[in-house]
Amino acid sequence: MIELRNVHKRYRTAHGVGRWVLQGITLDIPAQRSVGLVGANGEGKSTLLRLIGGIDTPTKGKVVRHCRTSWPLGLAGGLQSALTGRQNATFVCRIHGQEADIPEKLAFIADFAEIGVAFDEPIKTYSSGMQARLKFAMSMAFDFEVYLVDELTSVGDTAFRKKARAAFDRLADRSSVIMVSHSESTLREFCESGIWLHDGRAHWFDKLDDALTHYKKSINP
Amino acid sequence: MFSAIRDRLGRRLLTPSSLRPPPSAPRSALQVSLSVWRALFMREAMSRVSSQRFGWAWMLLQPMAHIALLMLLFSTLRQRTLAGTDFALFLALGLLGYQLFTNTAQRSASALAANRGLLAYRQVLPVDTVLVRAVVEGSLQLVIGLALLSGAALFGIDVLPHDPLLALQAYFLLWLFGSGLGLTLSVGYALVPEIQKIMGFVFMPLYFASGVLFSPAAMPARLQEWLLYNPIVHGLELGRAAFFPGYHLVQGLSVGYLTSFGVALWLMGLALHRRFATQVAAQ
Repeated sequence: MIELRNVHKRYRTAHGVGRWVLQGITLDIPAQRSVGLVGANGEGKSTLLRLIGGIDTPTKGKVVRHCRTSWPLGLAGGLQSALTGRQNATFVCRIHGQEADIPEKLAFIADFAEIGVAFDEPIKTYSSGMQARLKFAMSMAFDFEVYLVDELTSVGDTAFRKKARAAFDRLADRSSVIMVSHSESTLREFCESGIWLHDGRAHWFDKLDDALTHYKKSINP
Repeated sequence: MFSAIRDRLGRRLLTPSSLRPPPSAPRSALQVSLSVWRALFMREAMSRVSSQRFGWAWMLLQPMAHIALLMLLFSTLRQRTLAGTDFALFLALGLLGYQLFTNTAQRSASALAANRGLLAYRQVLPVDTVLVRAVVEGSLQLVIGLALLSGAALFGIDVLPHDPLLALQAYFLLWLFGSGLGLTLSVGYALVPEIQKIMGFVFMPLYFASGVLFSPAAMPARLQEWLLYNPIVHGLELGRAAFFPGYHLVQGLSVGYLTSFGVALWLMGLALHRRFATQVAAQ
């Protein structure tokens, strides 16, 4: 379970403090429930995902993770462009304390990413689709209970999407996903429940369809 | 979830999910930090050495070419010895010590900007990137220094310090000062980017004000007074004193002066990283 308690967030801009992006979000996101985050641009979907992932801190309030949570997949960063895919994957294994399993994990990542010899080429030679494949494969090599995904599948081709879908299906008994996407079909494919972000507040819906309905109503009144 | 993974590797095919070991307990904060430092160290060392072709060779050639050029310049200008010292070694010790300080300071100060992408993993804190870079740079400079001195020994120059402990102390303190400055500046760069431009101006004349090319003892007394405000002068001179018996030291050199700069900057840097953790991590 992931607890959000009265989470507020605003960013510092060049002109002083910015507007409140999130104001007072209190939510319990149950483990093993895949959730889609919907909302218009700038409503704080990625911000919320970053806070859940622990790579940014709320201005007020707190986030408590009671389960092993992945880093937010699909966001920029996380790969060093001068190093090879293999070196980057090794780094991620090391920071997750999997020093002993590195050969096994690398074999898995190389196999899952299906980027062939490019695995030993520097990241700067990768296309965005190849980077997405690598990042996704890296995250699949660890035993996370909750995967945070930010528009990850949008860059992959059909084969990659199928693979991602199949991978999440296999994990379904122990893992779930919290996903930001503007593609309705992607959300429907992966998520059961939904969170609709609007005016800095979060609304929870047990059924994703209800969240999508509210979201669509808010943009086309 | 790992049954699926092991399927793909052809391992543990028959282990039912109920028999799989439960996921390990969460790691302690110290364990996480240690594995992050280890991972960052390997990555930094790797990219530092392999970022350009013949990375290793350049690191050795650069100070060597620098010393050779200075030797050429000085041999036409004046005598090649300086009261009981070998002038090449005198220059090498100055340059290596100075390089140890500036490279550590500048590279660790810019560590955060270069590694921002890694903050995508919550295990990695901004301060980790700075600390690890300081250690990588220090180790690298140590290897470069040892390699150059060994090379000089092959040419018959006596490179063994007569006071090895003082030598270790002097160069360690130069590193401590450099890394402390880097720690402090890294927060400064992140919060007030203009500081980086100002530091560019500060680092430029430092080379001439640190006694790399000359012995402060050979300078007029008025100038000596000013030079002694620079902690690097203390480090370089103590380092030379450790190598050359009877080296003429300038009055007023102090280990404590350099140490206090190092320790104070470390404490300040760590405190700043703690105080401004959120602001520094925010992009």
